[in-house]
Order: sequence, then C-alpha cells, then structure tokens
Amino acid sequence: MSVFAGPIQELVDELGRLPGIGPKSAQRIAFHILEVPKEEAVRLATAISGVKDRIRLCERCFNVGEAALCAVCSDSRRDSSIVCVVEDPRDIVAVERTREFHGTYHVLGGALNPIEGVGPDQLRVRDLLGRLEPEGVAEVIICTNPNLEGEATAMYLARLLGPLGTKVTRIASGLPVGGDLEYADELTLGRALVGRRQMAT
Amino acid sequence: MAPPVITSILSLELESFRNLDSVVLRPSSNGLTVIKGDNGVGKTSLLEAVVYCSTLRSFRGVAKEAVISNGKAQASLHCVLLHGSRTVDVSVDITLSRRDRVQRNGQRVDNGRDLLEVLQTTLFTPDDLELAKGSPSLRRGLLDDVIAAASPRLGAELASLDRILRQRNALLRQLGGRLRTDDMATLNIWDERLAETGEIISTARANLLEALVPLARRAFAALAPGAGTLELFYLPSYKGSLAAALKESRDDDLRRQLTTVGPQRDDVGISAGGLDARSRLSQGRQRCVALALRLASHEYLTAATGVQPVLLLDDAFSELDEKTARSLVNELPTGQALLTTAGSLPPGSEPDLVFSLVDGVIS
Ligand SMILES: [Zn+2]
Repeated sequence: MSVFAGPIQELVDELGRLPGIGPKSAQRIAFHILEVPKEEAVRLATAISGVKDRIRLCERCFNVGEAALCAVCSDSRRDSSIVCVVEDPRDIVAVERTREFHGTYHVLGGALNPIEGVGPDQLRVRDLLGRLEPEGVAEVIICTNPNLEGEATAMYLARLLGPLGTKVTRIASGLPVGGDLEYADELTLGRALVGRRQMAT
Repeated sequence: MAPPVITSILSLELESFRNLDSVVLRPSSNGLTVIKGDNGVGKTSLLEAVVYCSTLRSFRGVAKEAVISNGKAQASLHCVLLHGSRTVDVSVDITLSRRDRVQRNGQRVDNGRDLLEVLQTTLFTPDDLELAKGSPSLRRGLLDDVIAAASPRLGAELASLDRILRQRNALLRQLGGRLRTDDMATLNIWDERLAETGEIISTARANLLEALVPLARRAFAALAPGAGTLELFYLPSYKGSLAAALKESRDDDLRRQLTTVGPQRDDVGISAGGLDARSRLSQGRQRCVALALRLASHEYLTAATGVQPVLLLDDAFSELDEKTARSLVNELPTGQALLTTAGSLPPGSEPDLVFSLVDGVIS
C-alpha cells in the first residue's frame, strides 16, 4: 500500500526491510531524513555505499576489513597457531575487547541450524580445515554462542577436529561476573547450582 | 516444614469480558465458593478471567481478542488478591490491537512472570476427561506443566528438548531417507543432544509420577471408593539408554523422517482395580481419574513451591453421581477453591459461599 509520494515511500520500504525496524520506525526515520540538512543525508548515503564498496571479507578468516586480509590476520604479532572460531564478525569485536586473546580468528558465518537449512556446507568449515596445516594451528578455541545451536556446532567441530590432532577447547559458560545474581536466567543459574564445586578451605 | 503461602482472590472485577458486561465476584477467601448458573451464562468466563490474571492467556486456547465482548474495544480485569500476608492489586486491560496493559500494585509490568509470582492456579475443566481417555500428549503435558512450575531449570530443559526435536526432525526431512557420510556427523550431534536432554526429562517425569502416585491414589480412593487402587506408571518409548535406542531406531527414523523414540513418545499408563483407564473404565470413573490427577498435582506443587495455588474447578460435577460430587467437595484441599456448576449442589455438601450467575449478574 503506497501512502506517501513515490521517493518517500521507496525510502520507507527500504528502511522497513532492515532488521529490527518496523513500519512505524521506518516512517519516523524516513521523515527525519527528509528534514535534516542535505549534507547530513548525503553523508549517510555515502556511508552506506562506502561500506559495500570498501569493506570486504578477509580471505583467510572471513572477518570484515578493507583489504584482502583483515586487521588481525595482517598483524604479524598475532599468534597464528591458535584460532578462535566464532559465528559472526561481531563476536570478534567482543573477544578483542577482552584483550586476553592474541591468536587469530575464523568466522563460521552462523551455527548448525537444520530448521533454517544451515548445515556444515553452509558454514565455513572446509575453509577452517584448510587453514590447520599451512598455518600450523595447534589449538582451536570454539567460541560459538552458548545456545542450543552454538553448542551443537561446538560439538560438531570438536568431533571433526579432534581426530586430526588439533587441540580443541571450548570457552566456559557461567554466571556473568560483576552482575547481579538476580538477573541471571534460570538455566544458567540452575546449571551453576547443579554443577557447584567444593571450595578450598 | 513451614506451612505454604496461601494465595486467594479477594475480589475480581470483569468489564466487557466475553458475555459479561460488568461483574464483581467476591469469593470466600478460604474454602469453597460455588458459582451456579445455566450453561452459557459465563461461569467458565469467570474462571477464564482468573487464569488470565495469572498467565495473560486464555486457557480456552483462543487469541486474546476472543475474550473481548463483541463490539467493545477493550476488556478489563481487576483482581485484588492476598498472597500470604500481602495484598496485591492486579489490573489487566486487554485491547484489540495493542499489547495488554498490565499493572501490579499500580506499577506497570511487562513480564508475565510478575503475575505468576503472585497468582498461580490449578485448573480442572470437563476437557480433562481426556487425561484418562485421550492421547498420550495430554498426560505428558500435565507432567511437563508441573515440572516447569516446580523447577524453572527443568522448564528450560523442556523448552530445549522441544527445540532439539524440531532441529533433528528438520534434519531428517532434509536427508530425505539417505544418510551420506558427511551428514552422519551432524545427525550424531543432534542424537547426542537429544539423548542428554531426553534422559533428564524422562527421569524428571518418572520421579514426578512417583511422587504423584500416593497423592492421586488417596484422592481417587475418596472419589471412587469401590473402584480399586489407582495405578500410575511411566511408559517410556524405549528400553535402556536413549542414546542406544536412538542408534537402534536410526534406520526407522531416516525412513520416516521423524524421531520415533524419546520422551516425546512416552506415555503414562493408568489403571484402577486392574482395569486400564483408557479402555475399561466407565466415563464417570475416568472423570474421577482426571480429578485425582489434578488434585494430586495441586498438592504436589503446593509442597514443592511452598505456595498454594487457587483451585479452579469448571463444571466439576458434570457426569458425577451425587455421592462422588459430595466426596469431591469433602476431598478439596485447604485453601481457596472456585467451582462452577450448572446443576444443583450435592446434598450434604457445605460450601462456604454460593453465588448464582443470571443475566450477567452475580448474586
Ligand atoms: Zn582475517
């Protein structure tokens, strides 16, 4: 249903296709753009086309970057013998923020999810296998999400990589530190109670 | 053990809810309140409103719009209840287009959990007859509801089991009956997850059933004294470990593109006096079985959570003879109970309060 003049409706339709933006928000953003100075709107348009023109996926790890190799892969100080496997490039940002990890990454592009039609062939599993020998990978840390699909993917990779002689580890999951216990979900807190351990006395 | 926290409804106001224009119900805060009325006057709607104040859903399995009176834009519920020694004020506005507006003591709440915390109900409806004679999914559902209410952790495992099954069945459909070596690895993973979570659920259900047996047996003996001992037993769809059973049924599963063993195929066997409840008991006895199961889960949850839910019995006397109906009234646990009936009260029963619902007016 077209309510607005052609170009506005086009913008509303395009915005409405973005994740997390409903029809009401799409309208609000479209009219906001209509009202701001032209330079501001052009800056947004340039940023959008720039991201498509200049950003590409890293040939090695499939992180986002501006060159054939991403910033991590092209950094010679990073330890290429240890690879952290994540579902999504945004997860790299989260791990980088810890400053605890000095190896390299591998972006799978999702997790095993038959309902969504995602199997190993839809993930970058073969590319990961192809990196093990040439890069001398000694340890793979599986950093997929702590949900059902992420855990299934972790198990799949562990079974696949284990026999090849690569050490496979999984990040521990548990209660958020520095947060309040009252905000922990039932499953995390419940499992933490079931899996309690004796303290040194 | 400390006595349970008693929940009871002090007053319930309904506006434009179903065919009830404007009604106030003030049940007895402890003991039995009976609501009499002909069929179709809206007795069930009163109980539906109580459950809505607890779960923000209709127990009749309809969209929320269905509870709004024809031609009205919104229905409103206002419930004052006692939770232990606290008075809690719950108000819910149900509107056609927007989300429900829910307030607890004047504070807006977004999460249904905030209501469940203060108001829990045990509901018996005439459809519960199917617990005794219907498909296994209803009996599993009864156990799962009690498990989730007693343990949020196991409730999350139940949700997880459901998702694992959907993932595994989706994979089986994609495989189309053939298993290539590459796919074997992924199917193994889902089998492993299913075996792990499935065993947790099967064990939880079997343990719960064991705890329910003495409670249900006592209730059944009171309701149907001549019917012999009630037996409840968990019937797993597999023998031994679920992991081994999944391996064994793999060819079958691949061919049928469906998971054929696991907790989703388990059942609860019921018999009384050695007679199978599904096929050999009279409908009256089957009703007693269903009532006994509900009363047992009510009692179990009260002990397990330390909170006594409000007991709601919709049209509970239907198809019961006078003696059984009287036993039901006498067998009710302490705490608040609301019972609706289209007929008369069994002689000799003494409810704390009796109302009549006629033409949308309670008197
Ligand atoms: Zn890279």
